[in-house]
Amino acid sequence: MLLVKLQSVLVYTFIWGSIYLLISLGFSLICGVLRIFHLGYGVIFVLAAYGTWIFIDAGLGLFPSILLMILLQIAVSLLVFYKGIFQRYLDREEILLTLTMLVFMMVTHLANYIYPITDGVNLPTTIIDGTFTIGAVRISYQMLFAALTGVLVTLIYIVFFLKTRMGLIIRAMSQSTQASLLLGADVNKMYYLAMILSIIPPTICTLMIAPFWSIEPHMGANLMMTAMLIAILGGLGNLKGSIIASYMIGFIHAGVSFLYVSRFMGFAALVITLIVMIFKRGGLFAGETIW
Amino acid sequence: MVSFELKRDRILARWKKQKYEWIIEPRYWRNPILWSMLLLVVPLFITGYPNILTMITVANLYACITIPLALQMTGTGRLNFGPQLYLGLGGYTSALLNLHLGFSPFFTLVATILVCMLVSLLLSPITWIAKGLYFSLITLILPLAFLDLTFIYGSLFRGEVGLMGMSPVINLGRITWNYVSYYYLSVFMMLIFLFVAEKIAQSRFGVTMAAINENEDVALMMGVNVNKYKVFYYVFPSILTGIVGWFIVHTFRTFAGITYLPLDFMLKMLIIVMIGGRASVYGMIPGAYFVCFLEDSLRSLGTVNYFLFPLILIIVLVALPRGEGIYGLYHKRHPRDYFPVMRVRRE
Repeated sequence: MLLVKLQSVLVYTFIWGSIYLLISLGFSLICGVLRIFHLGYGVIFVLAAYGTWIFIDAGLGLFPSILLMILLQIAVSLLVFYKGIFQRYLDREEILLTLTMLVFMMVTHLANYIYPITDGVNLPTTIIDGTFTIGAVRISYQMLFAALTGVLVTLIYIVFFLKTRMGLIIRAMSQSTQASLLLGADVNKMYYLAMILSIIPPTICTLMIAPFWSIEPHMGANLMMTAMLIAILGGLGNLKGSIIASYMIGFIHAGVSFLYVSRFMGFAALVITLIVMIFKRGGLFAGETIW
Repeated sequence: MVSFELKRDRILARWKKQKYEWIIEPRYWRNPILWSMLLLVVPLFITGYPNILTMITVANLYACITIPLALQMTGTGRLNFGPQLYLGLGGYTSALLNLHLGFSPFFTLVATILVCMLVSLLLSPITWIAKGLYFSLITLILPLAFLDLTFIYGSLFRGEVGLMGMSPVINLGRITWNYVSYYYLSVFMMLIFLFVAEKIAQSRFGVTMAAINENEDVALMMGVNVNKYKVFYYVFPSILTGIVGWFIVHTFRTFAGITYLPLDFMLKMLIIVMIGGRASVYGMIPGAYFVCFLEDSLRSLGTVNYFLFPLILIIVLVALPRGEGIYGLYHKRHPRDYFPVMRVRRE
């Protein structure tokens, strides 16, 4: 019995950890590059689900809907968040945080107004239907696929940051924006790029988890909380920290769920994050650099 | 022996080495007294509208939460994202003691103060350890962890539906009179909080508050015991917030963590501070009234109000003078006025 539970913990640590990685990657990126705590990050999840659904509902196919949704995401991210809030209130972070939260609240309630929870959303993004077993643990193919996508997207981001010129500039900016400016980096253009890069993982995540996750207008708050916890635990803006923290939170959730009682899993993650923050102030990888 | 001395614009009272002064020039106290009188007279005209009375009572309570919050933010030099933790602690302490042990409202008040003091004292070292954003994040997590606890121990806290049926602080026999009495109690509480916060801000404590907010290292160099003051500015406002929780329990007679502990409620408090005008504790009152009036007047529009409410707040926040808020429109800032700067991320 214990062996089965341990197997479940291991499998779900990998699955949840990889999904959490997708959830938190964009958040960490903004923290690391723009040095902003993006409290409107939850908008991305809501837009990914309801943006796609609104176009499907209008009679478009899945892929055109996803394409239009991505364009909508980019427009909101660049025009509302970056140009409208971040650029304007960078020196007044308390207003910046409040405004981003208000935009998030507004988008959530707009989604709820157009498509109330009772209406339901059905995104046909299932890639492989059915379940299979690993040892004694039964999981769905979609879950595994979502987890593998999480790993793949993270690998692509790591390669991008470590092996490309743009990645190098973004890493330099995360260390010192002023020094990067002095060395000729087009900081503004890179900020645009970082904003666009930050919406890709959570958008993919929402589409991948839609078949087995609860898709409702308020989903953004819970997912953003998870992203925030991971970013805090890992060290704000550090991708290495985010990767480790994602699997740590995945392990805590899986461990508490299978070895103790599932209702404690959220609380346990909060308490462990709090303890880490008190005793290791900047999180696991402090320094506020992206890598 | 206390000695009094009449100056041109103030009365000075001296006792040993202590000096107290009371400004008698009308321009300093005329407007606060006029506004207070207005607040006292208002219920006489709206006794037949309990919904309006309740709305103003709620606005007063929001002001009671944000006045200490404004004091705390300046005094600790940090942005607290979780003032509702103590609201929840105060509320649940008084509700549980009243329901399960039969404590009277007076004893639940004492217990609330003690519990909030103890918990805030235990957590106060956070103000030493964590700076800037990290402090905000820790304070953000704490009420959410508490909210989780109210769900986990649902049989005790009744997290989803909340606790009900606590004994009222005043019972005048008729519902209308009770509404009016709760209104007056909330006004008195708000005025007391305002008076205390204003006195602290104007005193020597207030100078240290400004010094800590501007630069902790310089304040330390100038001989301010920064850590001691930060503990005071963390603990004292937390107790005041806890008292608001007690008040809610014994007036509305229902208390649910899901109403007061989530991010939405914190956001509302933060908006009141931003819109009211964080430069002055007075700003919290117009801020609270504005947010409450807006929320209540939009409610008649149906579900679209949930979308319009943040939209209007965004417009107001962008349009108002930066930092000075609604109070800044009324009060012309003098060069000598201290204007606290809130920097989430400090070096």
